[in-house]
Amino acid sequence: LALALSRPRGEDNIISEEEAAQYDRQIRLWGLDAQKRLRGSRVLLVGLRGLGAEVAKNLILAGVKGLTLLDHEQVTEESRRAQFLIPVDADGQNQAQASLERAQLLNPMVEVKVDTDAVESKLDDFFFRFDAVCLTRCSKDLMVRVDQLCASRNIKVFCGDVYGYHGYMFSDLGQEHHYVEEKPKVVKGSNEANDGPEAKKRKVDPNETTMVKKTISFCSLKEALEVDWTNEKAKSSLKRTPADYFLLQVLLKFRTDKGRDPQPDSFAEDSQLLLQIRDDVLETMGLSSELLPNTFVSYCFSEMAPVCAVVGGVLGQEIVKALSQRDAPHRNFFFFDGLKGSGVVDYFGSK
Amino acid sequence: AAALADSLSSCRVLVVGAGGIGCELLKNLVLTGFKNIEVIDLDTIDVSNLNRQFLFQKKHVGKSKAQVAKESVLRFCPSANITAYHDSIMNPDYNVEFFRNFQLVMNALDNRAARNHVNRMCLAADIPLIESGTAGYLGQVTVIKKGQTECYECQPKPTQKTFPGCTIRNTPSEPIHCIVWAKYLFNQLFGEEDADQEVSPDTADPEVAWNPADAAARATASNKDGDIKRVSTKEWARSTGYDPVKLFNKLFKDDIMYLLTMDKLWKKRKAPLPLDWTEIHQLESSQEEAFGTGLKDQQVLGVQGYAQLFHRSVETLRSQLIEKGEGAELVWDKDDPPAMDFVTAAANLRMNVFSMNMKSRFDVKSMAGNIIPAIATTNAVIAGLIVLEALKTLNSDFDQCRTIFLNKQPNPRKKLLVPCALDPPNPNCYVCASKPEVTVKLNVHKTIVQALQDKILKEKFGMVAPDVQIEDGKGTILISSEEGETEANNNKFLSDFGIRNGSRLQADDFLQDYTLLVNLIHSEELEKDVEFEVVGDAPDKAPAPSVPEEGKNIANGNKDSAQPSTSSKAAEDDDVLIVDSDEEPSSSTMEASPESSNRKRKHHDADTDATASKRKRLDQQPADDDEDIIALD
Repeated sequence: LALALSRPRGEDNIISEEEAAQYDRQIRLWGLDAQKRLRGSRVLLVGLRGLGAEVAKNLILAGVKGLTLLDHEQVTEESRRAQFLIPVDADGQNQAQASLERAQLLNPMVEVKVDTDAVESKLDDFFFRFDAVCLTRCSKDLMVRVDQLCASRNIKVFCGDVYGYHGYMFSDLGQEHHYVEEKPKVVKGSNEANDGPEAKKRKVDPNETTMVKKTISFCSLKEALEVDWTNEKAKSSLKRTPADYFLLQVLLKFRTDKGRDPQPDSFAEDSQLLLQIRDDVLETMGLSSELLPNTFVSYCFSEMAPVCAVVGGVLGQEIVKALSQRDAPHRNFFFFDGLKGSGVVDYFGSK
Repeated sequence: AAALADSLSSCRVLVVGAGGIGCELLKNLVLTGFKNIEVIDLDTIDVSNLNRQFLFQKKHVGKSKAQVAKESVLRFCPSANITAYHDSIMNPDYNVEFFRNFQLVMNALDNRAARNHVNRMCLAADIPLIESGTAGYLGQVTVIKKGQTECYECQPKPTQKTFPGCTIRNTPSEPIHCIVWAKYLFNQLFGEEDADQEVSPDTADPEVAWNPADAAARATASNKDGDIKRVSTKEWARSTGYDPVKLFNKLFKDDIMYLLTMDKLWKKRKAPLPLDWTEIHQLESSQEEAFGTGLKDQQVLGVQGYAQLFHRSVETLRSQLIEKGEGAELVWDKDDPPAMDFVTAAANLRMNVFSMNMKSRFDVKSMAGNIIPAIATTNAVIAGLIVLEALKTLNSDFDQCRTIFLNKQPNPRKKLLVPCALDPPNPNCYVCASKPEVTVKLNVHKTIVQALQDKILKEKFGMVAPDVQIEDGKGTILISSEEGETEANNNKFLSDFGIRNGSRLQADDFLQDYTLLVNLIHSEELEKDVEFEVVGDAPDKAPAPSVPEEGKNIANGNKDSAQPSTSSKAAEDDDVLIVDSDEEPSSSTMEASPESSNRKRKHHDADTDATASKRKRLDQQPADDDEDIIALD
């Protein structure tokens, strides 16, 4: 059991004074051990638009060892306005490259690198050099491929996107993810009414805590997206199933078919297509179109900055939790609806 | 969409605070299309901010948060129109007219006093206010609109937990009691002496003698002949030249032996064990291993270690005093190493005396400094939610607005973010009701005017500059907000003005456009250490533990608090909302001044005092932007 928690991957095990001072407020929250694990972790982040920039900021501030920013796209006026790392005069440059300087300045203690290749072109072993991979703006096929590749090697996989007022994140932490939780120590308090020796024992600080070890398993993205809705059990759970799950399926299909996300410039054409895809997707699953009412088309165009902040915050924290092996991870989807202000964690896939 | 973009680019918003939530909020606002933003913060940047206040870099440490935040934002959005104020929002310059310039105000604060104040200003100006707070993994956002929703003060919020004097002075049972004692000791020796911060054994402790008459007799007796009571701690220390060894033996040996004579205290408690300087150093030292791979500060030393630390820090503080000259006073600052060393050492020595497990400097600093752990992601989520609510308020879609709670783990209904409908205003709210009124119980023969002003009107009822008249048919003025005008009244008792049971006072804060009618009930039966009670309030108690989610009660920022909070482990339980004390800001460059609300903080860290008497310092609790959670119910 002692081996279940992997040793901190940091090259040296000492926390410097500079780190202690800068990370003080977070060390007080998640502990020194967690900070060291973060400090030994390398993360790949694919996609540097609104959501990607938020995740990058959160991971860099948290103090990972290295973060690779991968994006093959060029900065456009639209993409520049969507995030805060790209300077105003960077139109035409590679998106990841343009984000590098400001990203690095967020925390000089993190090694921030850039890769301008398309993620589809990367060979398998490219991914193996990381402890965690976070995919944004990727096609379903690519995400499924990378997830299959990584999960068996204990590389933590995360996916996320923002579409207008909606956003989601998915995680696959592998078949056996080990972590610890801090629980209050149960104090067998002395009964004050007793005179005797009990009352005079050394007091246990009521605030002392203890670390409890746990293990949890995750299914693949493929399984999570290919739930069979035709059986009775699945059907009965439909009432409690967030519509966002189906919205995600629709948007991923749109992205596969059109090679891009819905754009405000083509609102009329894209909305039509979205409704069509909704009908197709739900029909294929054996479900009614009513699960995703037409109004959805009005709210899933372009990335809204505050929604990127919310989803990027939750996603960033899940990556931190997984790398630090501390606290129960959300399992396995998080859906955010910015219209309602609701954020839901739900599980899809084999139990 | 175009109409929305237009209204965004033309509206003016005010962001109060440029710390953890503030930085994230400013970024979200400009990326969303807000163009005219004013931001105010009295604080300067500290290295401990850099793990989350991402608009700041190491090179900015010491500079104004509002100013640097503005500059950083302009880098990625040069067309934004941002005005930055390095100032306190409680400065009277920011009057109702100032607030009326804005269509929306968003708080990103870390202390209750400022929140109360902004609440009132927004009510007075009738401008919607978005309130928010975070602590650790938890956070909350809500919307306040006069006449439509609860205001920030509609529901009573638990006040900071305080400890009775005899617990601190005679019978500590938890590390926090020893830490509070050590901070009092610091003030008694090196800082401003405060009658509410006594450290010597309390002979008037009701527990000591069953017969109340005995206790009183003992108290007077010791005043006459007891070495302990007659001279103030500071005078005594001076008389010995702040000799660390003499100080050690007085505090941890002589005073403890005196406590032992109060034998009734120890019938059911483990008696304290005095320490002797010479004896300690003869013992086999259980020595300090190299700290290895941990944080140096997280080591727990042995008794010799803390005795040495005590010795060193007393000598250093003594030099600091000498350097400052005649009549100098130090102000406790968690980021001033000798001050922190002193409290660490003294608290631990006392813990050892009272058979408690000693604590590392790291842990002592958390408790003494009211540090609230903070991370970037929680603030990022909350700031995102703030902007989403802001978009609704701009369209006046108040029925769409929600209070949203961010939990650490999803609730049984799978929700991590829980939106709740807003409540209508409390018709009996002592702030936003049409003619607010309260009833206060106190002893008119023992309460002085200064206490009424500082502890009741300012601290309890959130006024900044009260004016008070007695409703005696003559409109006698008791307190004037104009400096100096009613100074002569400060130390007089309320009864000196004819105030008695049933008297009514009218208290106004003209800046906040707020009038409160105060009914007084005279009582001679208040509990020990209790100066007044507000009729209808729940008694002061520790923060509520686990509470069902919807309708949680989250206490908010106890900047105003006297004593450091008990460890807020509760903060990490799922649905528990926290009392967050505002972190103790640093005092270094501050001078005590009566109306301190204007002072800019050079540093962080001010003292949270044991009692409310130090209103002037409390005003300026800067805090490390450890945001609070708002109380809701």
